[in-house]
Amino acid sequence: MTPAGEPGGWVGRAYPLKEAARLVAGRGRFLDDLAPARLLHVAMLRSPHAHARIVALDVTAAAALPGVAAILTGAQAAALSKPIRPLIPTAVPIGDWCLAADRARFVGEPIVAVAAVDRATAEDAAEAIRVTWEVLPAAVDAEAGARGEGPLLYPELGSNVVWHDTLTYGDVDAAFAAADGVLRERFEMQRYASTPLETFGCIAAYDAGTDAYTFWSNDQRPGLTMSILAESLGVPQSRLRLTCPDIGGGFGNKRRPAWLLVCALLAKRTGRSVKFVEDRRESLTALMHAAGGVMEVALAYRADGTLLGLSVRDVTDEGKNLVSPTQHNLIKLGNIANGYRIPAIRYEAWSVLTNKCPTGANRGIGKPFMCFAIERSMALLARRLGLDPAELRLRNYVGVDEMPYRTPTGAEYDSGDYHATLRAALARFRYAERRREQVEGRGRGRLLGIGVATSVEPAGTNLASYEIITGRRAASGSAEAAMVRIEPDGRVRAAIGDPPSGQGYETVVAQIVADELGVAPDEVDVARGFDSATTPWLYLSGNYSNKFSVTDTGAVVGAARRVRDKLVRLAAHRLEADPVDLELRDGAVRVRGVPGRALTLGELARTAYADVLGLPPGEQPGLEARHAHQNPLARPMDAARRVPSQLVFANAAHCCLVEVDPGTGGVRILAYVVVHDCGRELNPLIVEGMVHGSTAHGIGAALLEEFRYDEHGQLLTSTFMDYLKPTALDVPDIDVGRLEHPSPVTPLGAKGVGEGGAIPGPAAVANAVEDALAPYGVTVRALPLTPETVWRWLAASRGA
Amino acid sequence: MSARVRLTVNGEAVERDVEARRALSDFLREDLGLTGTHVGCEHGVCGACTVLVDGWSARACLLLAAQCEGAAVTTIEGLTPAAGLSPLQEAFRACHGLQCGFCTPGMIVVAHELLEGNPAPSEAEIREAIGGNLCMCTGYVTIVRAVALAARGRRAGG
Repeated sequence: MTPAGEPGGWVGRAYPLKEAARLVAGRGRFLDDLAPARLLHVAMLRSPHAHARIVALDVTAAAALPGVAAILTGAQAAALSKPIRPLIPTAVPIGDWCLAADRARFVGEPIVAVAAVDRATAEDAAEAIRVTWEVLPAAVDAEAGARGEGPLLYPELGSNVVWHDTLTYGDVDAAFAAADGVLRERFEMQRYASTPLETFGCIAAYDAGTDAYTFWSNDQRPGLTMSILAESLGVPQSRLRLTCPDIGGGFGNKRRPAWLLVCALLAKRTGRSVKFVEDRRESLTALMHAAGGVMEVALAYRADGTLLGLSVRDVTDEGKNLVSPTQHNLIKLGNIANGYRIPAIRYEAWSVLTNKCPTGANRGIGKPFMCFAIERSMALLARRLGLDPAELRLRNYVGVDEMPYRTPTGAEYDSGDYHATLRAALARFRYAERRREQVEGRGRGRLLGIGVATSVEPAGTNLASYEIITGRRAASGSAEAAMVRIEPDGRVRAAIGDPPSGQGYETVVAQIVADELGVAPDEVDVARGFDSATTPWLYLSGNYSNKFSVTDTGAVVGAARRVRDKLVRLAAHRLEADPVDLELRDGAVRVRGVPGRALTLGELARTAYADVLGLPPGEQPGLEARHAHQNPLARPMDAARRVPSQLVFANAAHCCLVEVDPGTGGVRILAYVVVHDCGRELNPLIVEGMVHGSTAHGIGAALLEEFRYDEHGQLLTSTFMDYLKPTALDVPDIDVGRLEHPSPVTPLGAKGVGEGGAIPGPAAVANAVEDALAPYGVTVRALPLTPETVWRWLAASRGA
Repeated sequence: MSARVRLTVNGEAVERDVEARRALSDFLREDLGLTGTHVGCEHGVCGACTVLVDGWSARACLLLAAQCEGAAVTTIEGLTPAAGLSPLQEAFRACHGLQCGFCTPGMIVVAHELLEGNPAPSEAEIREAIGGNLCMCTGYVTIVRAVALAARGRRAGG
């Protein structure tokens, strides 16, 4: 693909969100704002136990309540639908239906759904259902599961381990034998989530006349969901329609095909539209958590700090995740080297089921933990070697002259200057000066700490990486589809198969199309959300994996260029001009250098749609094009089991200054600098906002957020009063600087930016807190660093 | 159990029978169709449902509609001009003070309340004012900028 033309130069401008006009006025259309006629509302009866068998279930009293239209039990759901297809086949097929039928496997797992005239009535009915439970021992310790100990979620599998393997790249034993030293550490990561402010929801309607279903949902991956719905309902995809309205944040969390299936079964039974919207407790308890776990790191190094080898043992706590286990593992493997040249790598991993909320995609998937383990290790190694932590990193980065660089595990770093990124961050942070201030502050008893962490940030997921797990390829690559159309009146319309959840695609797509067609972004209407009946889409379509910049852009550019080429052919024919003399500018196709010889898009559209005898010979009527783009970096697994699980790498460096209150253990962030390089910035306003927001997620994970389970598998943090999110009083004024090394493999040179801050953020804050507590000899091995945790360290140190 | 409630919503008199347990947020969204008030947690922490009750910010999820007898309730719809945007809304747009837009109505309500009482808030005062509203997208940086810009605009505009 040739570089994008820039008639208006709209791409790259800080163009305010087109979406803002409706959203600041409260005129967005979110899922719960939709209310089809005769709508029924669903409440779910959920398991209060982490692991229990349903001995008896009595819905008689509930069904008799006025206003209750239908009750669906897990057993009925199993009779009326097929199990949800797992991405990873288990050793023995497991039936995982939309409601639990015989046994609940985590607190909050739904076993019955009630549809009633309003939500309150449905909740009353759910409360009236009588369940006799046989409580079973719960598997809550993933490490025990990895050792083959503890209760089994699925006795027929004989183990809670979904996958265990050791992957070796390079001569790891030789690297460790040649090393001057080996740093060994053990890190833990808590479960947390990005918790979009709008909870997950869906509406289903059934048309008996055509045996067809219509869905509305804030599902951020509609392509995959369509296939799951069709398989589970036993209807072809041609009889399903899925529409995504405005989505109030996603971050990976916004998916649960099971709830769409529940509504579909109830809609078919009642003949009415059926809506389910999670309340916050349901969302925190049962939607999706980022996997927690344990990682043991061994880092072999030379005395000068050069890294020689890395060995990681990783136990991932999947919860009851039969749909997408091992996802965190594969993403960690693809990013295991971070930005460093590490010639030999070993990764031994366990993917372990536990009686906890299912895990799944969450801003960065596995990379925040991987980065935490590596960047904490680098901080500890710097301390051990007496090196400045920034200097140790500079000695080990992949150099700009080595790009493109293939990591041992198969990822390809396409471009970027990691040294320059860190140096720019240090300068912006006034690193040397702040180190002096830290020394002075310590002299006055202040516990000041400086943390540095850096990361790579990939974009686009290559599903071919699942071949590492399954030994076969089902889906692969990273791709998206788009449509551009000039309406009969000359107005431009576009749509993509990727429903945004705050990323401003209506704006950025309009900027891209505007440049291609020589109009202004305000003259391009981009479809809100997604509609499977009108939007071009693929199985791979969706809002995930940072993929907009590396696949969606190609689809939009490709579709716009097809329309542009046709406009030029039409104009050349009508103006009797040579196509090479034509340009698209200010809403018209013009003969370069001849003022007045031009045809507006409206005039050309009239020819294309109405006065079709004016078309060039052989030219079809209409001005519409569809295009799908796949990222060229994706490739299959090779014989050495190397595969890029993700593609196109941005990078960032974070520096932060914290102060610990010795009285309360509270951590305050005094300064936070991010310098990042996401290639060409398509819209700097949106890019900066992404960096702020993802960094805030990192800060939340570092200091506040934890889904904490007790030994019985009870979730102790199921409201926003105990699962704490960062507020405006916790997040500092994040200062963002940028470098722009365009990607050579994306159509506009852009790279991913949505996850960047969330990846090194936890490590940066942890490194700073550890630095602040250096006088106390504390090593940070787990998060979050709550006041209680820090206070206990201080108290223990004082008591010692 | 239902009760008759009379109140003013965005300047219009409203009279309805409501269930005693009906939350003000559900009343506004479902009974009156004012869906600009969003519900994010239903336990009074996230602030998405914030409206003005007699000029003071309040969480519509923690109030019952029946409690609002005689009250004047203002929602985001009531803070939006018939045509175009208010200067505060325009500042959110210009500063990219929103991403998904779900928290935005509640943010604008509390920012409106702040600026009504404090025409020249410091950054710390802005952060304090929005400190009870969660935003999962922006990290708050551009929201603070937007409120500061709106404050400057109000002062400049008299």
